[in-house]
Amino acid sequence: MNAKHAILPCNGLDKNVGQLARELALKLAAEAEGEIICPVLLNTAPSRYERVTAEMPLLVIDGCPTRCATKLANRLGLRIDEKVLVTDEAKEAGVTVEEGLTLGPIGLALVARLAADVMAETGPSVTQESSADFETPVEFITVTHDKYIFKIPAEGFHFNENDCWARVIGDRARVGVSDYVQQSMTDITFFEPPKLGAQISQFDDVGSIESAKAVMDAISPVSGKVVAVNDELVDRPEMINEDPYGKGWIAELELGDFESDKELLLTAEGYSPIVKKKAAEAQH
Amino acid sequence: MPDDTFMGVKRERIPWFPTIDYSKCDFCMECDKFCPHRVFEHRESGPKLVVANPNNCVVFCRACSKTCGPDAISFPGKPDILALIKRVREEG
Repeated sequence: MNAKHAILPCNGLDKNVGQLARELALKLAAEAEGEIICPVLLNTAPSRYERVTAEMPLLVIDGCPTRCATKLANRLGLRIDEKVLVTDEAKEAGVTVEEGLTLGPIGLALVARLAADVMAETGPSVTQESSADFETPVEFITVTHDKYIFKIPAEGFHFNENDCWARVIGDRARVGVSDYVQQSMTDITFFEPPKLGAQISQFDDVGSIESAKAVMDAISPVSGKVVAVNDELVDRPEMINEDPYGKGWIAELELGDFESDKELLLTAEGYSPIVKKKAAEAQH
Repeated sequence: MPDDTFMGVKRERIPWFPTIDYSKCDFCMECDKFCPHRVFEHRESGPKLVVANPNNCVVFCRACSKTCGPDAISFPGKPDILALIKRVREEG
């Protein structure tokens, strides 16, 4: 966190993780000179925080996956720059925080570590230079349903039935989501990249995206090691809407066993009837 | 949808769907509001929320569990499901 942030916690007063979200917000406000946004007042009188949200990057802290603070921010059209979800962080750290509403030593230690993590973050993680030439594709086949037209790159892409693609060049693959995903989610407002260096099995999660309508994990069509992530999406997740097969790529993987992975993947011709079917079902 | 398949395998043969832990569920219905595939349904008697249409669930999607405040939704392990899909595909 290299700038003063506006901090929006869920403030969940009736849950232990909500209390931790609140505690983390207070700690960051004190130690990193952030400015706290009270979610209750924001909900009642959003104009009270117009200046703060316009001038500062926004850090949202949710206690549990109900993600009240995120939903509030989305509803008010606020741009979220950073997010913390306490339950996820606890899971990742392998700790079980104390039940009840009084903060205990385990919870407080988690808050201290999260505060230090947030303050230590100085922008996007280092991305290794891409070695291959991944250009935006130019030739597409299209699937039409009512007024919608879904594009699928004609060649060079492999798809899974979870609407994610992999483009393979040499021993590397870029992965992303299809045009069908970006159109059905509408405006994508948040991107969480996978961890650089993570070993991914085929069909593991490789990052996630959010819109006002939905949250979606990207399901990796290929196995391998994450060697680059598209940091630009953190600031501009809408690039997935603008160019899902090019600038909206999610991650680059050093391939594990593509010959084996490929057996479970589809070509453009194989993927197009799946899009057609999903589009038809989505209407009902 | 009897002809429904996932990766060439009949959907009903793939045991991928959410399981609700009723000791944790607080019936906030966030998962049901979220899921566009009508996997969940409300009930008047017994548990107020049930997994009524497990085969509507998108294989490998766990998004509903990410909306669950009390962490009451679980899914099978992906490697097990993948192994099963591969096995069934090989059987033809």
